[in-house]
Amino acid sequence: MTFKRLQTKLTVLYMGLFGVTLLMVAVAVVTAVANSARGVVRDELAASGEVYEQIWDSRSDQLRQGASVLAQDYGFREALATGDEATVRSALDNLRNRQGVDGAMILATDGYLTSTGVSPVDAEIDVLWNGLDQAGVEAGVLTLEGQAYQAVAAPIMAPVLIGWVVFVERLDDAQMRNLESLSAIPLSASVMSRSPSGWGNGSEAQPMLRGAIESGLASANAVPVTTRTASGPAMVLAKALPNFDDNQPSVLVLTYPMAAAMKPYSPLFIALGVIALIGAAILAAGTYFLTRDITRPISVLDNAVQRLQQGDHVEVAITSQDEIGRLAHSFNGMAGDIRDREARLTHMALHDQESGLPNRLWLEGEASADTAAWVILLGIDRFEVMRNAIGYESMAQMMTALGARLVALSNGSAIARVGAGALGLVVKAADEDQALTIAQTLCASAEAPVKLSGTTVDVSLTAGVAFCGAQPGGVDSAVDRAAIALDQARTSRQRASLFDAVTYGDPGDNLSLISNLMSALKNGDVWVAYQPKYDLRAGVINGAEALMRWRDPARGFVSPDLFIGMAEETGQIRPLTEWVIRQAIKDQRVLAKAGYDMTLSVNVSGRLLSDESFAAFALGKVAAANAKLCFEITETAVIDNPKVALSIIDRFAAAGIAVSIDDYGSGLSSLAYLKQIRADELKIDKSFVLPLDTSSRDGLLVKSTIDLAHSLGLKVTAEGVETATALALLQGMGCDLAQGYFIARPMPIADLIVRLGEPAVPVSGRDETPGVKPATRAA
Amino acid sequence: MKFLLALCSILLIATASHAGDLSVSVRDAAGRPVKDAVVTVHPASGVPRGPIRFSWPLRMTQQDIQFDPYVLVVPVGGTVSFPNLDRVRHQVYSFSRGNRFEIELFGRDQTRTHTFASVGIAALGCNIHDQMLAYIRVVDTPWAAKTGTNGDVTLSAVPAGGATLRVWHPRLAGRGNEGSRAITVTSSAGRQTFTGDFSARASVR
Repeated sequence: MTFKRLQTKLTVLYMGLFGVTLLMVAVAVVTAVANSARGVVRDELAASGEVYEQIWDSRSDQLRQGASVLAQDYGFREALATGDEATVRSALDNLRNRQGVDGAMILATDGYLTSTGVSPVDAEIDVLWNGLDQAGVEAGVLTLEGQAYQAVAAPIMAPVLIGWVVFVERLDDAQMRNLESLSAIPLSASVMSRSPSGWGNGSEAQPMLRGAIESGLASANAVPVTTRTASGPAMVLAKALPNFDDNQPSVLVLTYPMAAAMKPYSPLFIALGVIALIGAAILAAGTYFLTRDITRPISVLDNAVQRLQQGDHVEVAITSQDEIGRLAHSFNGMAGDIRDREARLTHMALHDQESGLPNRLWLEGEASADTAAWVILLGIDRFEVMRNAIGYESMAQMMTALGARLVALSNGSAIARVGAGALGLVVKAADEDQALTIAQTLCASAEAPVKLSGTTVDVSLTAGVAFCGAQPGGVDSAVDRAAIALDQARTSRQRASLFDAVTYGDPGDNLSLISNLMSALKNGDVWVAYQPKYDLRAGVINGAEALMRWRDPARGFVSPDLFIGMAEETGQIRPLTEWVIRQAIKDQRVLAKAGYDMTLSVNVSGRLLSDESFAAFALGKVAAANAKLCFEITETAVIDNPKVALSIIDRFAAAGIAVSIDDYGSGLSSLAYLKQIRADELKIDKSFVLPLDTSSRDGLLVKSTIDLAHSLGLKVTAEGVETATALALLQGMGCDLAQGYFIARPMPIADLIVRLGEPAVPVSGRDETPGVKPATRAA
Repeated sequence: MKFLLALCSILLIATASHAGDLSVSVRDAAGRPVKDAVVTVHPASGVPRGPIRFSWPLRMTQQDIQFDPYVLVVPVGGTVSFPNLDRVRHQVYSFSRGNRFEIELFGRDQTRTHTFASVGIAALGCNIHDQMLAYIRVVDTPWAAKTGTNGDVTLSAVPAGGATLRVWHPRLAGRGNEGSRAITVTSSAGRQTFTGDFSARASVR
């Protein structure tokens, strides 16, 4: 059992102990009383049994004497012996009246019977005869007409036995009541005989007494036994009585209900119960008050600990000098220590250890406390460069100095050090323009050189501003928004900038994009489109670039720029590329069946060029299928790990895979890589080809690039050919291959096969209008 | 005179040639000898006419508040004397059929007599002393005697031929406490053994 309160526990414990003691006392008393009562009843029953035996014997003697008087009378004997029936009968009547017995009989040895007072039937006469003649019973119970009689016989000798005088006396209730009145206790007595229906007195059978009677008959010295009767447990003494009928033994049954024996003690039990109840009540009250005094200080401490746990500052009043008093004292000390430590920890958690300024956590708290305010983050420009120049320690000093300077300008707002090179504060402003103005003012304040241990340092600051209240853009923290705004300000080369959610986009969505892409690969939402490459010299389409296309059921058409870029960032580009390679090999076989033997180009991300296992996969696949593939590689990709990448490219080349340098001219084009990479082809970025119609400068760049590539032994493909004019110009410049909407848009393999059956270049009537911008560029 | 009579009867018996002694042993169910059993033989040829004489006195003494002997065999018509040798008085009676009599109180050294006219049993009692009991067996044959302590009795000169052997004893089980059987007496000495149940109660009416 568990107790919520010590007081309850003590009270219940004491009550329990008292209850157990009381119970034991009660059991002892009840047992002793019951034993004593049982003893009294047993003795009384035994005594009554003895008394009855004596009564029986004396009654028998009395009857026998009466019968003997007749049996020995000479005249009577003579009359009987000589068959003088009238005389015999009159003598019998006479004696019966004189003795006052219930009945008298004469049974001659020859079976002749005459009776007065009773009228036995033949069966009863037989019983009497057998008892007298065979069993030699002279006194005992005789049942006549269903009534039990005490019968006594006196032999008639003339001089040999010629018969018996039998006197019978009814064993009736009156006699039993007489016996009962002789006893000190109100027992009930009855004579019972065994009949086919069990033991009973006349008609009423007493089946419950059977056990007691049988045991009484079995033992020579009958002892009282306890048994169950119809009226509860009772003590029963069964004393065997002689019977003329051997088969129908008789018993004297004395019963005394135990309830009656226990009755005199019931006042004692009631008194005992009342004493127990009063005692329990006194004990309960006493225990309650005593334990309350003991447990009250403990409860106070318990309360205090709980409040301390909840963060309250608590102090317990010390009321005693005992253990509990000392505990309270220790508790107070401990609570104080915890309070101090907590304050220190809180300060540490909210302050920058280097500069002593509040930290980012503190600023977050400030920002979330006032949703109408603005957060301004001030970043030191070129922080790393500066720190490397003047050292960590001086930088920390400078942050402190800057902080002090800004505090002076900030209307009392505290300045927090948000990062290594960033300070932040929360200001009040009416609108974003005012907030921007404040930010610009603060930035301007830093223009004045900062003095650090004798020297001066020039500092310039950029500010990011964000509203503390809720804003769209998926960034919950205002401080984070201000940090993003700071980055945005630097990107756009502004002194101060507000957080722009639109520019920021939602990077969180991209992750789910990638997982959607991986499942799209499995369920067929991704397919490969082929954009034909037109051979300007042969005038035929002899190649195609494999481009991934994805239509997401929820998002619709997803731009390859988006998902491929994302796949590169998240490392999922490899399974994507492997899938395209497999698909391209398969489709190449389909094309070959249709009678078109063409090289298919696959874009390979620069990241994969340093992946040995990808290289092994690609080489294995190409070798197994004997495929003719071209890997288009953006030259910027090589920069990641040039040594590994170049060796892998060499292995591709050695395996017969054509290597193409993609998007040449955009990004960080480097002649050094052109030198190093063993490429077969150069693809001129469409940004040079698209304006070819109008810009002679681009024409020059394209022409010179074609010349450069040719002189290095590379074929040249022009991307983004959208007009017949551009195509003609490129042909004039000696370009080898052309790719673009003018020739064909990217299309599914089935469409490609159809397209291959048509003229390689559209006739002039089908020329598309230049300036129709493609929705997306091929990746 | 008596002697002469006896002699005459012996002669009479002797003259009836072809007669022999008959020994009868009476035993109870356990084979023990039975004392005071009265054995009588009735030859098929009948009994001789004339009074019957026995060798024992026809006397029932009362001594020490007891009858003596316990069983007395008396010929029919025989007169039995009842001498009282006690200092107290007795009143002898019999309620037995045919032999009912009562001898009023009589004292020491007084003798009364009674003549038993009917064949049968007379159970004798004393009206004053209940414990006194004796039996008189009245017979109508000269071949009668009671067994001694060895349970044996010998009847002399029983005529040869068919005869009825009867045994009576107060405790013999059977009608009238009597048992009988047919025997054949030879001229030489014969021997009969009677076995019976001697645990019954005397029944005399």
